[in-house]
Amino acid sequence: MEEVIVVKDLTKDYGEGRGIFDISFSVKKGETFGFVGTNGSGKTTTIRHIMGFLKHKSGDVKVLGMDAWKDSCQIKKFVEYIPGEIAFPDLSDGTTFLKNYAEMLGLKNMDKADYLIKKLQLDTSANLKRMSKGMKQKTAIVAAFMANKDILILDEPSTGLDPLMRETFLELVLEEKKAGKTILMSSQMFDELELTCDRVALIFNGRIVDIVDIDKLKNSEVKFYKIEFKNSLDFNKFKKLKYEITRIQEQYNQVTIKILDKDVGKLFKDLCKFDLKFISEVKHNLEKYFKEVLTKYREEKNV
Amino acid sequence: MFSKALFKQTAKANWIKWVAVTLATCIMLAIVIIVLGNLGINDIRDSLKDVFTQADQESYLKDNAVDLYDLYITTAETNEQMETFSGVGSVFINNLISDYDTSVQNYQTENGTAPDDATKKQIAIQEVDEFIQQYGELINNFMPDLDVNQLSGLLVNVLLAHDKDASLTGKSLLMEGYYLTVYENAYSLALLEGKTEQDAVQEATEAKNQSKIISMQLEIKDDYSDEAVKYVNDYMYNMVYQSQINQGTLKEDAKNYAVSVKVISNTALNTYLLWLNEGKTAEKAKTEATKSISDQIPEKVAEALTELGDMDMYGLIIGSIFYRIAGLLLPMVFVIMVANGLLAGQVDSGSMAYVLSTPTKRRTVTVTQMAYLLWALLSMFAIVTAVSVVSVWIVGGNNFAINFAEILLFNLGAFLTMFAFAGFCFMCSAIFNRTKYSLSIGGGLTIFMLVCTILGLFGSDVVPSAMRIEAMNFFNYLSIITFFDTTSILAGTLSYLWKFAILIGIGVVTFITGVFSFDKKDLPL
Repeated sequence: MEEVIVVKDLTKDYGEGRGIFDISFSVKKGETFGFVGTNGSGKTTTIRHIMGFLKHKSGDVKVLGMDAWKDSCQIKKFVEYIPGEIAFPDLSDGTTFLKNYAEMLGLKNMDKADYLIKKLQLDTSANLKRMSKGMKQKTAIVAAFMANKDILILDEPSTGLDPLMRETFLELVLEEKKAGKTILMSSQMFDELELTCDRVALIFNGRIVDIVDIDKLKNSEVKFYKIEFKNSLDFNKFKKLKYEITRIQEQYNQVTIKILDKDVGKLFKDLCKFDLKFISEVKHNLEKYFKEVLTKYREEKNV
Repeated sequence: MFSKALFKQTAKANWIKWVAVTLATCIMLAIVIIVLGNLGINDIRDSLKDVFTQADQESYLKDNAVDLYDLYITTAETNEQMETFSGVGSVFINNLISDYDTSVQNYQTENGTAPDDATKKQIAIQEVDEFIQQYGELINNFMPDLDVNQLSGLLVNVLLAHDKDASLTGKSLLMEGYYLTVYENAYSLALLEGKTEQDAVQEATEAKNQSKIISMQLEIKDDYSDEAVKYVNDYMYNMVYQSQINQGTLKEDAKNYAVSVKVISNTALNTYLLWLNEGKTAEKAKTEATKSISDQIPEKVAEALTELGDMDMYGLIIGSIFYRIAGLLLPMVFVIMVANGLLAGQVDSGSMAYVLSTPTKRRTVTVTQMAYLLWALLSMFAIVTAVSVVSVWIVGGNNFAINFAEILLFNLGAFLTMFAFAGFCFMCSAIFNRTKYSLSIGGGLTIFMLVCTILGLFGSDVVPSAMRIEAMNFFNYLSIITFFDTTSILAGTLSYLWKFAILIGIGVVTFITGVFSFDKKDLPL
C-alpha cells in the first residue's frame, strides 16, 4: 500500500534532552495513525515538521513523496490541519474567518462547511476573540474538514470539547476515515485513539517507544482474569500453581493472571478445586498496554 | 508572490487603526497650518527686524553727520591757513609753480610728447620734495600750526590744479589744491570701506563739493564748531526733506521725518564734541557719537536678537516640529503595531498556522504583508499630503511662508522616514517569533529615535542660539530622522536629496532582510 507520510530518523535536538530523536514511522494511504504521549513528549514537534513549519536537521520527512520543508506549499494542497494551540487571525467573527480561510484555500463550495457547522451546532456569528475554548475548537474543526482534502493532520483535536461533542467529533473522524482519508492524529485520550486509529505510536521523551496495531491488541490471544477467593487458604494454594500472576491484592485474596486462550480450559479445571467468590475478565485496552510498555521501557532505560 | 485573500484579511484586521491615525494626523496638520497662517507669528520677528534696520539707519546718519562736521572744521582751518600762506608764501609758491612748468616743458622736449597724468604727478611730487627741503624750515618758522607733511600733499595737488587751470592764482589756487586733497582722501577711504569704484567716486565728488560750498560761506573765526554744527544739522534736514518730497511723501510727514533726522544729527555732534573736549582722539569720539541701539547692547545679546529676528517660525513649527516629530508620532505607533501584527504577532499567537496551512508560500506571506504595510503608509501620506496642500492653499498658497514645493517635499521626507522605520519594524517582526522581542526591539528603537530627535532639536540650528544647547546636538546623531533634512529643504540646497536616498536605502535593505529571514526560520505553529 502507498505510504502517504514517511518520517525517517527525524531528530530535532533543542538541548538539555528536549526535542525529538530518531523518530521513524509511516502512514499508509487510508490509514488512521495515532500519536499518544505525555505532555512535552514531542508529538507537536513531529507534527510541525510534517507541516513544514520546522526544518529538520537530520532525517527525512516526506508527504506524498515530497520533502516536507522544501515542498511545504505544494503539500498543503492535500493537507488539512488543526493546530495544537488554536489562535485565529484578527477578524471580527467566525463567518468572516471561515470565508476568508476558504478564499485562501481556493475553496468555492461551502456545502461541507455548512454540514459541519450544523453537525457541531456551531454559532459562527460569535466574536472570534470572545469564543470559548470549545467553540474555537469547533471552528477549527470546521476550517480543517471543510476543504475535503486527502490528508488530515490533527494535533489534539478534541481538547475543550464536552463529552457529547467529542462523540460527534469522533463520528466525523470515522466518516472521514470511511471516505478513504489518511489521518494523523495526536491525543492524550487513549479511548478515542482506540476507537478511531488503525495504529498508535507511543512517544516518550522524544522517542517512539512502541507502535501498536489496534486490531491485534483487541483480538489478542492473551487474556487477563481477576479471581477472588473466599479464604486465604485457597488463595495461597492457588498462588503456588504455575500461572503468570500480574497483580496480587492480598487483603481481598485477589489475583490477576495472564493467560493464553488455549489454556483457559485448564484454568477452569484447576479452579474447580477452590472456593471462589468471583472471576472476571479484565479487558486489556490501549491504556493498560502502554502503561505496561512504558514501565518496562523505564526500567530498561532507567529513566 | 502575492495573496489577495491574505491582503484582504490584513486590511480588515488593521483598517480601524489606519483610519484613526490618518484622521488624527490630518487634523493636527490642518490646525497647525491654518492657525499659524492666520496668527501672523512672524509679526514679532518683523518688528524686531525693524528695530535693527532703524538702528542701522541711525548709525549711518550719525556717521555722515560727524564726517560732514569734520569736513567743515578742516575746510575752515585750511581756509584760514591758506589765507595766511597765500600772503606770506606767494613768492615761494610762484617759484614752485614756475619750476614745475619748466620740468614739464623739459619732459616734453626730451620725449616729444606732453607727460600723461601719472607722470605729471610724479614730476609734481619731485618738485614739492625739493621745495620742502629748501623752504620747509622757513615755512615752519612763519606758520608753526602747519604740518609740513600735510603741506607737501596739498602742494602736489596745488600743482595739479595749476596744471588744469593756469589762470588760478593765490588763495584760490591753494584752495583748489585742497579740494583735490579732500576728493582723494574721501575716495581712498570709501575704497577702504569696501565700496564700489562708482560709489567711491560719487562720495568723493560729494565731499569735494561740500568743502567748496563750506569754504564759500566761511568767515574767519576763532572757533568754528557752532557754525559747523548748524551747517551739518541744516544740511541733513534739507537733504532728508528734499528726498522725502521727491519720494512723494506729504510735506507735513517729510518735515517731521527731517526734524527727527536733525535731532539724530544734533545728538551725534554734541556727543562728538563732548568726547573731543574730554581729550579723546577724533576717531574714538566718532565711535562713541555714532553708536546706535544695536551697538549699545552687549554683542552676544545683539547676536541673539538678530538671530531671533532672522528665525523662520513657520519653518521651525511646520518643518522641524510637525513633520519631523509630532506628525511622525502617530504613523510611528501605527507602523510599530501593524508591523508586529503582520508576522511576529501571528506567529506568537499561532494564527499564522491558518495562513501557512493553506497552499501559501512563506515568501508570498511576507511579500503580501510588506505590500500591505507600504500601501497603508503610502495611502496615509497621500491623504496627509492632500490635506497639507489644501491647508497651505487656504492660508495663501505660495504667499504663505511655506510654499507648495516645500510642503510637498516635507510630506515626501516624512513618508521616506516612515518607510525606513516600517522596514526596520517589519524586519524585527520577521526575525522574532515572539511579540515581546519584536516590539521591544523594533518599536523600542523607533521610539528611541523619535525621542532623540526631540532632544536633538534643542541643539540644532533651527533653534535660536539663545535657546540652543550645543551638546544636545549629539542626539541628532542617534536618530535616522536626521536624514530628513527640513533645513536643507527650506534653504533650497540639495543636500536633502542624498539624505533621502539613505532613508530609502535603509527601508529597502531592512524589508529585504525581513523577507529572507522569514523564509528560513523555524515557526512554532
